[in-house]
Amino acid sequence: MSDLTLGELDRDGALQEAVEQVSGGTRAAFLGKAVVAGGALLGALAVPAAGEAAAASDVAILNYALTLEYLQSSFYTEAERLGAIRGELKRVPPQLGAVERAHVTALKQALGGAAVKRPTFDFRGVTEDNPKFLKTAVAFEDLGTAAYKEQAARIKSPALLAAAISIHSVEARHAAWMRFLAGVIPAAAAFDQGKPISEVRAIVASTHFVVARPKRKARKNPKYSG
Amino acid sequence: MSDEPRLEVLSSSRGDRCGATRAEFIARGILAGGALAGGGALLVALPRVAMSSPSPAQDQKILNFALELEYIEAGFYAEAFAKRKLRGDLLDYVSTVRHHERAHVAFLKGALGSSARKEPDLDFGDATSDPEAFTAAAIALEETMVAAYNGQATNLTKGTLAKAATIVSVEARHAGWIRAIAGRDPAPDATDTPKTAAEVQAAVKRTGFVGSS
Repeated sequence: MSDLTLGELDRDGALQEAVEQVSGGTRAAFLGKAVVAGGALLGALAVPAAGEAAAASDVAILNYALTLEYLQSSFYTEAERLGAIRGELKRVPPQLGAVERAHVTALKQALGGAAVKRPTFDFRGVTEDNPKFLKTAVAFEDLGTAAYKEQAARIKSPALLAAAISIHSVEARHAAWMRFLAGVIPAAAAFDQGKPISEVRAIVASTHFVVARPKRKARKNPKYSG
Repeated sequence: MSDEPRLEVLSSSRGDRCGATRAEFIARGILAGGALAGGGALLVALPRVAMSSPSPAQDQKILNFALELEYIEAGFYAEAFAKRKLRGDLLDYVSTVRHHERAHVAFLKGALGSSARKEPDLDFGDATSDPEAFTAAAIALEETMVAAYNGQATNLTKGTLAKAATIVSVEARHAGWIRAIAGRDPAPDATDTPKTAAEVQAAVKRTGFVGSS
């Protein structure tokens, strides 16, 4: 997949934000951006809990993971809803969908008020086309594996690392399964390499599946007055 | 909803003894989701995995533990391939996977240098010639590998963790692959439950493959 221009990458609003937060590094920088994004984020992080503060980088990594899980779960959920995926692939949307939705739930619970919202997706008919669906499923699961892997060593909290690692291997199982169904070698190499955020972002952007940034919760101007 | 205790989950402690703190307890509770509608996969509560502060010396112990497992797998697949009793999908599988496990052994031996443990005595019985026995053994070995690496992830220094992560996903691919061949669900759970070193050793012992080590 070729690298895309900044303009095209603008569509990837949610990932872009997560990227800035991860590469921003310091807690101060993160909070600075949080103020811009909305008061809810700042409020959530400002609560010191029993002397332990949330590592800003951990929050950013989880939000990055959450965005990818939103993409996967929405994809499989739509495929199941439309019911066009048939034959050998029939149980893939409900089964993978259930797992990816569980990942979304877990990440949202861990993040609380700091969780990014689901972006708007347009899967452009791929969820109704058996060969395209399978090809995309292979790509998504390989991508999820590589994304989790790259971030694992950066996670500060041991509990979150354990959780991320236990999801990472499930993504790899999915990847092997989808490849098996596609007639492609399930494990192409002895060592799987990670992918950095910039590469993941470019791949997601190249799908054109993400069409809108998540909507903000607060409205500046109330809809009704008086 | 405000002031959620869930923020305590995100501990920034580095190198702390974990497993006993309230933050970790909450983390496990929160990350263990409830049952999904429609009988979908459950998020499994993280078992209390023995943890200790990462260090190069501890990395070495863990890598030697992994090396024993990789020796078992490499030996198993090499013998199965050499006996030439497998066909079709199983032959495709063993033809490829044997190279991966051999590469894992080589990597770990290289990382450990003179500290690398020696190859254990191995006896696979008919598991390397009978297709059904092979399939069952391959599944057991790959599942054990995934659980073993996942169980040690938090004990490793970050550099070693990054390398281990490139291996564990390959073992998970193997697990998904052989399970798919066997007509079993390749990924029955939303999360892969880690195992402690003791649990892994018990699983290895149950195979009966390892003689004196």
